[in-house]
Amino acid sequence: MLKIWSMKQKQQQDESAATGPKKKKVTAAQLRVQKDLSELSLGSTMKTYFPNPDDILNFTLTIEPDEGMYKGGRFNFSFAINQNFPHDPPKVKCTQKIYHPNIDLEGNVCLNILREDWKPVLNLNAVIVGLQFLFLEPNASDPLNKEAAEDLKSNREGFKRNVRSAMGGGSVKGQSYERVLK
Amino acid sequence: MTATTPPPLQGPTSKEKKYDRQLRLWAASGQAALEESHILLINSGPGVVGVETLKNLVLPGIGQFTILDSAIVTEADLGVNFFLEEEHLGGFRAEHTCNLLKELNPDVQGHYITEPVESFLSKPDILKPYTLILVSAPISPELLSRLETNAVASAIPTFYIHCIGFYSHFSVHLPSAFPIVDTHPDPVTTADLRLLTPWPALSSFAEEKTTELEEMSHHDHGHVPYAVLLLYYLEEWKKTHNGQVPQNYREKIAFRDMVTIGARTNNPEGAEENYDEAVAAVLKSLNPAEASSAVREVFQAEECKSLTPESASFWIIAHAMSIFYKNHSSLPLPGSVPDMKAKSADYIQLQNVYKTKARQDFAEVLDTVRSLEKRLGRIVAIDEKEVEAFCKNAAHIKLVRGRPFHVTLPGEGVRWGDRAKFAAQSLTNPDSLILLYIAFLATDAFTATHPADDLGGAVKAPGEVDPETDAEKVTGIALKIIDDLISEAGMFIEEPEYSEVRSKAGEYVQEIVRAGGAELHNIAALTGGLVAQEVIKAVTKQYIPVDNTCIFDGVTSKSSVLRF
Amino acid sequence: MAEDSKPNFSNGAGAQRLRWKYLDNILNRPGPFTDPDWEPGEAVVEGLSRAKILGAGGLGCEILKNLALSGFKDIHVIDMDTIDVSNLNRQFLFRHADVGKFKAEVAARFVEKRVKGVKITPYCGKIQDKDEDYYMQFAMIVCGLDSIEARRWINATLVGMVDENDPDSLKPLIDGGTEGFKGQARVIFPTMTSCIECQLDMHAPRAAVPLCTLATIPRQPQHCIEWAHIIAWEEERKDITLDNDDPEHITWLYQKALKRAQEFNISGVTYSMTQGVVKNIIPAIASTNAIVAASCCNEAFKIATSTNPFLGFPETDNYMMYTGDESIYTYTFQHMKKPDCPVCGNLAKNLEVDPAFTLQDFIESLAERPEAQLKKPTIRTEAKSLYYQSPPALEEQTRPNLSKKLNELVSDGEEVAISDPAFQITFKFKLLFSK
Repeated sequence: MLKIWSMKQKQQQDESAATGPKKKKVTAAQLRVQKDLSELSLGSTMKTYFPNPDDILNFTLTIEPDEGMYKGGRFNFSFAINQNFPHDPPKVKCTQKIYHPNIDLEGNVCLNILREDWKPVLNLNAVIVGLQFLFLEPNASDPLNKEAAEDLKSNREGFKRNVRSAMGGGSVKGQSYERVLK
Repeated sequence: MTATTPPPLQGPTSKEKKYDRQLRLWAASGQAALEESHILLINSGPGVVGVETLKNLVLPGIGQFTILDSAIVTEADLGVNFFLEEEHLGGFRAEHTCNLLKELNPDVQGHYITEPVESFLSKPDILKPYTLILVSAPISPELLSRLETNAVASAIPTFYIHCIGFYSHFSVHLPSAFPIVDTHPDPVTTADLRLLTPWPALSSFAEEKTTELEEMSHHDHGHVPYAVLLLYYLEEWKKTHNGQVPQNYREKIAFRDMVTIGARTNNPEGAEENYDEAVAAVLKSLNPAEASSAVREVFQAEECKSLTPESASFWIIAHAMSIFYKNHSSLPLPGSVPDMKAKSADYIQLQNVYKTKARQDFAEVLDTVRSLEKRLGRIVAIDEKEVEAFCKNAAHIKLVRGRPFHVTLPGEGVRWGDRAKFAAQSLTNPDSLILLYIAFLATDAFTATHPADDLGGAVKAPGEVDPETDAEKVTGIALKIIDDLISEAGMFIEEPEYSEVRSKAGEYVQEIVRAGGAELHNIAALTGGLVAQEVIKAVTKQYIPVDNTCIFDGVTSKSSVLRF
Repeated sequence: MAEDSKPNFSNGAGAQRLRWKYLDNILNRPGPFTDPDWEPGEAVVEGLSRAKILGAGGLGCEILKNLALSGFKDIHVIDMDTIDVSNLNRQFLFRHADVGKFKAEVAARFVEKRVKGVKITPYCGKIQDKDEDYYMQFAMIVCGLDSIEARRWINATLVGMVDENDPDSLKPLIDGGTEGFKGQARVIFPTMTSCIECQLDMHAPRAAVPLCTLATIPRQPQHCIEWAHIIAWEEERKDITLDNDDPEHITWLYQKALKRAQEFNISGVTYSMTQGVVKNIIPAIASTNAIVAASCCNEAFKIATSTNPFLGFPETDNYMMYTGDESIYTYTFQHMKKPDCPVCGNLAKNLEVDPAFTLQDFIESLAERPEAQLKKPTIRTEAKSLYYQSPPALEEQTRPNLSKKLNELVSDGEEVAISDPAFQITFKFKLLFSK
């Protein structure tokens, strides 16, 4: 052991932290999220909200699509990141009940990089880009909301009308949705 | 069962709960084999490695164990053996370790015998009750040899184990034919889809699912199972290649490009998962359904070719299988289909196409088995399940031929036989631990000529009292073994390699002698884990066992498996 | 705990070493691979007896037994779990009657009773409950933890503890893990050799199936179970927290999954498979645990005694991979330290600051530092977001901090992490208040 220590001292080039009162250190997950946050490009259509600004692992993302069928809506997603990030993906849920083929009524989101295709090299920006894409290109194959997907597949115009009415807080096929218009 | 009646609760039994984490590996069949087994440990020396092995066998629930050990518990045992307590000092080690091991699992029966090995072995049929035998060194070579002969005669797998200081070794003498059906191949890399030789039902299924592929909606196009896609593109390929499937690597790459181009990119996702899967599967799925060399070895075995009424059921089924292979140029279809992007109903249908064919193949093999049984005049029919399991795993069955231990009988050198060349070549291989193995053999030869008492039973370990002198002697023996090996192999090792080999062997010997016959608990525990694992394989006839020698070096934390 | 009336064997004197006869052959004799400077004998024996060592996690039973019989006398054990019936096939210090009790407590008492002269101190809780002062008391830490999160935590803690002026602050971390017939043992000298964070890619992420497959096109029995677990439960029993250990909950999921499987003509859903999928059960057997735990303890013993070279010595092998289902295969190699490792790649440096400076002043001073000119720094402590350049909402929320004095925001000696778009790595500074 002593031998190792003398190697350690040789190896050392920089002066580094001296003993002092032991304080909690910024965690690896925090470090990574901090870096990811600095790389977010939100543009004009997205906003973040931190209920507790000291806790960067839990926040809300609001998307306001400026084109496509969901234009005019305001959609909220909760991000919950655990200490095992980036080994584990962030947990993302839509906090409103919306009419969308890839988001179910409980707010679960079908986005590959949130589950089966998550890799630690992906960052939070990749996730928000993916979410944004869902509103531009809702995808009818392999949906989470089957009714919405059927509508999109069989009658695109009808689907568009349903999206408008659901966004206004109306119901579609007996299912009521939350008002999400700006 | 209809959807309206709630299904009965199939909660696990208390045994299933206790063994849950291992049943997920070797299943109820493996567990049943363990529970029927009776393991004999012939213990000696510090005797820890054998007891640690038993611990790892009592826990998963073998049926019974017996410890044969005439040693008396000494103070030194308490510093290395976890299954002894102070109050056992002066008592029989076999008795007390047995009792403490039994506490680990009330489902296991433990027995002990305090008779010396020599008199124990002199009784006729004394090994018959045991499923498997563990022998812990040191043991006199004559006794080891006698034990091995008796065990082989009854086809009882036998393990010979060394554990000294930071080093350990064990060799396994399996029966002369030890076939394994349930080898647990990796399901991902071993999918067998027969895409190059589809049978009519599969071809017509593929045709039906790819009619007007180009005109399909994005949704349908993106859900054609990849196996079907590959069958479709193979037909397309054949149209421009004289009816031939891709023949070589270059053609397979070209074929893969053809599949890649077929994927649609003008859909919302800009790609198709099923095509991605198809592209990824080209190189591994487009192989002819030829039997592997391990399987052909089974077919060519004498036991397979000439059946007798007494042949083991494995050989009867193997014979039937070889007839099937001769007739179809392929083994029976296993029938499982890996998961792939597809609509549920299509996938289930595809699965059924494979299952139906697998059942047909199985029925054909079973028919052959039945007629072989009739021809041989066998009374008890082979269980259908055994034939079915064989068909499912046909491509991965394995036959291990048991090989004898190197026993260092006084006056006789170590003979390497058909492995001499391999062994001699290993001497200069820096990753091989053969020199450590030779150091163990030299240790055996030393103990054989240095009995600690006049009874000839107990033996003395090198380094107990005088490490320097003993190291010199054992090194001398090791160097002789090396020279004999080189000459048996008809080889020559040049300088400086030859000197390096000799000095390396000398270092292993020194480290062994340093321990003076001591077992270190960590190395005994580690080796006990390795041996227990191999016992489980031998008893359950699952997974692939060590063939036949394993060496562990706790100085560098490395191991070698060598076939001698 | 009552003291035993029998003689105490814990010190290394004379006849009482009879018990350690075998171990003493190794402790008292040099071998061909021991360091030429190594002196065998009394000092080695003493060092081993005095070394305080910590064991933790699912391999705890094996680790305690092995350490006790390696000659360690002062062993601590941490485990938050209670004993479950499914542990009994491998965790050999526990009996049926112990089910429900704390593992650390039962294991400690058992080994203490069995191996006379060893003191074992249990703590029933999480490793995260303890702070640096606690970990500082140990010579080394042997872990058989079952979660990656716990591994990363202990690793980061031990890396952060290393103090250049105090050789005692370097705590070797010996880590073992198993999965069925596979496992690994590795040794880490925090800050000197590749750490758990450097080796994160050695842990394969858990394979997941797309949510939409579960929702619309299930094909396998596992898809039906995952559907029941992730989707059906939330739809139908939202208000009940799913408890993986509650048989009623598992039965509910099982029946849901079975019904769904029947709808899609999928066969193979069983209760046991439901349990396995929902709890992410990893097969575990006595033999692999024995191998990996013993390998870890063998390294601990070699490190503590210098009786032979050990894994983890800088520039040598530090990792042993083990596979036992197809014959026996081990691969022992040197995993390289990652220069950009977020944990051990850039260690905290001391930075003297005027506590009366505002955060704004401090940020401006960073831009003038010679080694790294941080022009747009984002700063936080473990507990607080001090200032974030982006996203805008967070910038706005943290802007009021800019006019606050440093001593209102951080305490003397607290660590801050600073990132800047111009740099790939995050800088860490320990802020020392100038007097």
